[in-house]
Amino acid sequence: MTMAEKATKERLLSVLDDLEVLSRELIEMLALSRSQKLPQAGEDTQILDLLVQRDRELQELMDVGREQGRVQEEMLLLEKEVEKRDSDIQQLQKQLKEAEHILATAVYQAKEKLKSIDKAKKGSISSEELIKYAHRISASNAVCAPLNWLPGDPRRPYPTDMEMRSGLLGHMANLPTNGVNGHLPGDALAAGRLPDVLTPQYPWQSSDVSVGMLPPHHGNDFGLEPPGHNKENEDEVEAMSTDSSSSSSDSD
Amino acid sequence: PMAGVMETEEQSRNRFQSELEFIQCLANPNYLNFLAQRGYLREKPFVNYLKYLLYWKEPDYAKFLKYPHCLHMLELLQYEHFRKELVNAQCAKFIDEQQLLHWQHYSRKRTRLQQALAEQQPTQQQQQPPAHGNATAK
Repeated sequence: MTMAEKATKERLLSVLDDLEVLSRELIEMLALSRSQKLPQAGEDTQILDLLVQRDRELQELMDVGREQGRVQEEMLLLEKEVEKRDSDIQQLQKQLKEAEHILATAVYQAKEKLKSIDKAKKGSISSEELIKYAHRISASNAVCAPLNWLPGDPRRPYPTDMEMRSGLLGHMANLPTNGVNGHLPGDALAAGRLPDVLTPQYPWQSSDVSVGMLPPHHGNDFGLEPPGHNKENEDEVEAMSTDSSSSSSDSD
Repeated sequence: PMAGVMETEEQSRNRFQSELEFIQCLANPNYLNFLAQRGYLREKPFVNYLKYLLYWKEPDYAKFLKYPHCLHMLELLQYEHFRKELVNAQCAKFIDEQQLLHWQHYSRKRTRLQQALAEQQPTQQQQQPPAHGNATAK
């Protein structure tokens, strides 16, 4: 029903008004016709016709009204239905959002895992190499003290004064003339051997050597400052070891 | 890893050897004290050199290190505060003591472990604590 048309209620009411007016006129005419003749000839029939017409209109409008009521009820039902569907959709929306959240988290964690896998792969070293290395640094007591170590034992987790002097760097230096100092490397060399704690400093196992070399044991003007005479360490060693010459490196 | 310097194979070898020896000397706190007292640790070129030596941390180079403590010392040496403190003889002594205690920690732990094992299985033949230790990691 468009806005241009009158509402059914209004039409019904106007028809009722017409009916009221017409019935009143008719009754007035009938009342008058007792006393005087009809002024107009067909007026009574006219009124009756109008009355009948209006009544018909009324009936039609009542039907329309009934129909409209029915439609209204249907509309209400449908609205309720729509509401229900709306709430269903909202529920699904919520669940979808939750699922999305869970999946996003899972994907993120999976990506992180992949990243750490890549990282681990990059840093991977063959277990054989690791074991070999572990063996080397343990066997020489470089990282773990020998089980029979006592204070006074000159062995250390670092190269001692003598070891430093016996290496390549030590031989590049001009050894300061000092009675105690002078005979240290001499002793070791005179004994015909370098303290063998020193040897693993060289890339000994050729299979390990990726740089592909054994060091030639001769001086080189590298210009690196050589480790100098370390009096402090010296004195300690002197004090601790019972032997005055400190070539007691190899007690095992 | 020196960029832009042409060197012969022999020079390369020597450089490798020298750097290998030098970096391991850094594991000796007394040597560090020596260097500090003579002012080397204050010189910028030397500090740069210490930074350059960090390449020994890579597995391909680290595997040549017999005294791995040197890597820890090298890392500490990157800090100016540490380099300053090393001038102090007491500082070096403290480091030395702690280093030795740490060094002995593993053998004490191993001894205890072996004792515990020995107590658990008295019927089995008891192993002598090997002098060089069974080096494979537990």
